[in-house]
Amino acid sequence: FLASGGLVQSCGHIIPESPVLALGSSFTALCILNESCLDFGNIYASQIIWKIKNRLVPKEQYREINRTVSSVTFNDTSSLATPLTCNILADGQIEQNIYGITVTVGLAPEKPKNLSCVVHQVSRFTYIMTCTWNPGRHTFLDTQFRLRYSWPEEIFPDCIPKDVNNSCTITDIHFFVNTVIWVEATNALGKAESDPLIVDPIDIVKPLSPQNVSVSSGVLPTVLKLSWENWISDAVMTLKFNIRYRIAGDMNWMEVPSEDTASPRTSFSVQGLRPYTEYVFSIRCMKEDGTGYWSDWSEEKTGITTEDQPSKGPPIWRIIDKSHSPASWTVHLIWKALKPFEANGVILQYEVTVRDKSSLSGPVKKYNVTSTNHTLQLPEGTYEVSLIARNSVGASPPSVLLIPARNSKAPVKNLRTIPKHDKLWVGWTAPNSFVLKYVIEWCLVSSSSDCIIEWQVALGDVQGINLKGIKPFKCYLITVYPLYADGQGSGQSVKAYLKQDRPSKGPTVQTKKVGKAEAVLTWNHLTVEEQNGFIRNYTILYKTIDGNETVVTVDPSKTEYTLSSLTSDTLYTVRMMASTDNGSRTGPDFTFTTQKFGRGEIEAIVVPVCLAFLLIVLLGVLFCFNKRDLIKKHIWPIVPDPSKSNIAQWSPQVPAKRNFNSKDQMYPEGSFTDVSVVEIEADDKKCFSEQDLKPFDLLKKEKSTSEGHSSGIGGSSCMSSPRQSVSDSDEGETTQNTSSTVQYSTVVLNGYRDQTPVQVFSRSESTQPLLDSEERSEDHAGGADSTAQRQQYFRQNGGQDETNTDRPCFERTKQIIHANEGDLVGFVQLQISGQSSQPLGLGMEKNTQEAALSNVLQTHTEGKTVRPETVEENPLSFDEMPKSYLPQTVRQGGYMPQ
Amino acid sequence: MAAAESPSTALRRRDLCSRGIRLAGKMRADVVDLLDAYVEQQGLDASASVAAVEGVPLAAVERWDEQTGTQRLLENLAAYRAFRALLAQMLEEQREQLGEADVGLGRALAAVLLQVSAFAYHLEELLRLESRGIPGEEEEEDGPPPPPRLSLFEQKLRGLGVLRELAQWAVRSVRDLRQLTKPSPATGAAPGLAESP
Repeated sequence: FLASGGLVQSCGHIIPESPVLALGSSFTALCILNESCLDFGNIYASQIIWKIKNRLVPKEQYREINRTVSSVTFNDTSSLATPLTCNILADGQIEQNIYGITVTVGLAPEKPKNLSCVVHQVSRFTYIMTCTWNPGRHTFLDTQFRLRYSWPEEIFPDCIPKDVNNSCTITDIHFFVNTVIWVEATNALGKAESDPLIVDPIDIVKPLSPQNVSVSSGVLPTVLKLSWENWISDAVMTLKFNIRYRIAGDMNWMEVPSEDTASPRTSFSVQGLRPYTEYVFSIRCMKEDGTGYWSDWSEEKTGITTEDQPSKGPPIWRIIDKSHSPASWTVHLIWKALKPFEANGVILQYEVTVRDKSSLSGPVKKYNVTSTNHTLQLPEGTYEVSLIARNSVGASPPSVLLIPARNSKAPVKNLRTIPKHDKLWVGWTAPNSFVLKYVIEWCLVSSSSDCIIEWQVALGDVQGINLKGIKPFKCYLITVYPLYADGQGSGQSVKAYLKQDRPSKGPTVQTKKVGKAEAVLTWNHLTVEEQNGFIRNYTILYKTIDGNETVVTVDPSKTEYTLSSLTSDTLYTVRMMASTDNGSRTGPDFTFTTQKFGRGEIEAIVVPVCLAFLLIVLLGVLFCFNKRDLIKKHIWPIVPDPSKSNIAQWSPQVPAKRNFNSKDQMYPEGSFTDVSVVEIEADDKKCFSEQDLKPFDLLKKEKSTSEGHSSGIGGSSCMSSPRQSVSDSDEGETTQNTSSTVQYSTVVLNGYRDQTPVQVFSRSESTQPLLDSEERSEDHAGGADSTAQRQQYFRQNGGQDETNTDRPCFERTKQIIHANEGDLVGFVQLQISGQSSQPLGLGMEKNTQEAALSNVLQTHTEGKTVRPETVEENPLSFDEMPKSYLPQTVRQGGYMPQ
Repeated sequence: MAAAESPSTALRRRDLCSRGIRLAGKMRADVVDLLDAYVEQQGLDASASVAAVEGVPLAAVERWDEQTGTQRLLENLAAYRAFRALLAQMLEEQREQLGEADVGLGRALAAVLLQVSAFAYHLEELLRLESRGIPGEEEEEDGPPPPPRLSLFEQKLRGLGVLRELAQWAVRSVRDLRQLTKPSPATGAAPGLAESP
């Protein structure tokens, strides 16, 4: 590099200088070295290297033209970048920059397309024309667009867009002359023009919308007059219009037919409107011939049509309350307020007229009501209710409702419902008769409150309506009444859901009764609020703790079900599921345990067991009865008859024993068998009563209680083997009592006067040992005697224990009880009979004193009173009675074994 | 000739007539508006009487209904060429007088001038369609000598006269063009008349 004049002079330069290149084209640059540098710096073109942004250009692209010029060629400019520098390798090593250029790569502008222009009216006299076009691809270069327009003989100034490249606005517009409009796009690589658009600006005008729009109501209630101002003079262009309108609150616009407004005007009367309705209007305009553009819609203006008389009567219905009295109704007349397009104004009042149809001359009652219901008290009958609505202009046609005595006409058929989105469609088949209209009642079914009735009237020619405002998952009761000209049909009802869901809860199941193999489950129906739909079925799911779940489906009408084939004594878990069309919900679990035994099973076991037991007992008793001898032998050891003992030989008068036989013969009656002690042989055939024998029982008792006496006897039985005595006493439990110490006493009675006294053996408390011989002799005696004796023992025993099972014996005992004192007397007498006569005499006196006692007793007493005498009569012959031995207590002077 | 013209020529002619009518109508409306603005702006009396403007054919002619189409076109063209020159002069004088003070009036004058030019172009096109030679402007411009220098008031009065005459010509032009759109026998006689210089 050379410094010249303070400036740095380059040793070369590149041609072209900062070129703008078309993208994709080829490009060749030349680096030309200054001659001066050749000598000074000793550099040549062969040393030149090219770089693009510090990146070496491959040497294949170089070409040394001469010693001072080197060229580089790029086949595609897209590989170029800035800067492109020409460098030289000084001394083969040091790289030095000679020159650099900026390379700009871009595209030539495309031909602008889709040129279109719109003339906007911005004020009454001012128009601007805005043209837009498609500028084409991006050129990467600074490209200028200009909108040009001209008349054939007039060229107007260009319109140069600001900040954009696809639109421009011309403010100087002249109508009625065809204007040529085109767009020019220019950049460093070229220029392009759009196709010319030849247009009279008047044909592309978008006028301002009509101004100062106003709406005024006319004389007619169906007409509103719309007025406006046009902001474009007829000299420029004539206009046609569009008028649209809608009811305030409604979003749907209606349009006045375009042919009605196709001519220039500044007002228009819109007809066919609803009375007393607020309308919203809007208007727009365009060039009459249809060229150009519609203006924007004008601002909206509202107007209200005037009132007209109501077009129809209000729909009326009734609810008849007969609960108070069947003969008198409370009739709630209800009607719906007319819709605005029916009311045609403000309803001032309703006029209700009620006429009794049952009597021709019935009075007509009129009521003026301002609300939409009225309650009447009417006697049962047929009435015609008419209702008219009145506004400031006039009255509506009347609505007539017949209130018949009963709904006797044909009902609708095939009532059904179908949900349709948020509405519930109710359909029916019309009856055969002509129906004026239908009344559809519906209400929300609730378990907690009454059905609040809503209703709607449908015309007679429809067979279905949509119910609005129906809530999903709620049960509605819908009733349809057909209304005829002469009455009304009976209502048909159906329950329906707009949308079903699964129940909000499941049924709570519990057991009513649990058996061995079955359980009766019971539950309550879900309330209608809980159902959320039609309960199609209940499902019972039950299982044991470790068992599989069993599922049973139950009809939804039931509230009870019996589970059968259950396992006894098992814990079951049961739950219940209620299902609608849209799902199911399960209730809480309930557990129960089946019983171990079934019903009657215990009875079936216990009763046979008891019966068997009884049978066994009975058999035992029978057996005992049959084997009583054997038993007796064990329980009641055979007591040897002392009279038959060997020792009795000292008492040779055996025949006395035989008297037993005679006695048996004399008293065959078993009732005497328990009388073991006393037997009186007498002439008189009087039957000795039991009480006669009682004193002996008492005697026995006395003896048993006074062991001292007994022991006396026992003590006297020294001859008997003590061992035997012990064995006797060991016989049974009564060994400690008198039973163990068998004591016998013999009462020897002398026969009355010369009669043979009868010896009677009585059981004694004597413990005197019995001799083997005695036993033997008794065995020998055998026969009827021994049998009779045994019977006596038995009976006696029975009599003591069982208190006289025989009736006569019982009666007698009673007598004895009454005659206790006498008995005692008799007993005393017996005790002392062998001792002295003194006491005997006393006894006689006593007997005499007690003469008032019963005959039997008396007889007995008499018999006894005789005995002492007999004893006394034969005091010396006592020894002559070998068969009898008397205890010491009985006979003091008798035989003493000691 | 009318029978000989092609459908496209007839369409073009009808379009030019229609557009010319509307342009004349708008021009009249604009000129009327401009007159009001001009009188007010120049401090003139709207009822002031003005002498006929030199160089401008009178709009009112006798036996108007007897004129041929070409004749009408030529008269119209002559008048509007005159108006174009007069309006251009008025615009220049206006700028000299008021500078940029009253842009509105100058803009309105410019607009009317453009409309006059445009209408003249319409007339030339119609004449071209009728295969008539268009008279050269230079010839006319050279013909009458340049008007003498007038006083300011005279300029204002002349301007008022120009605008009034233009308004009248606008009305007449509408009638002329409507007449041209009618297939009248007069149109058929036009070539004969045109041929006569």
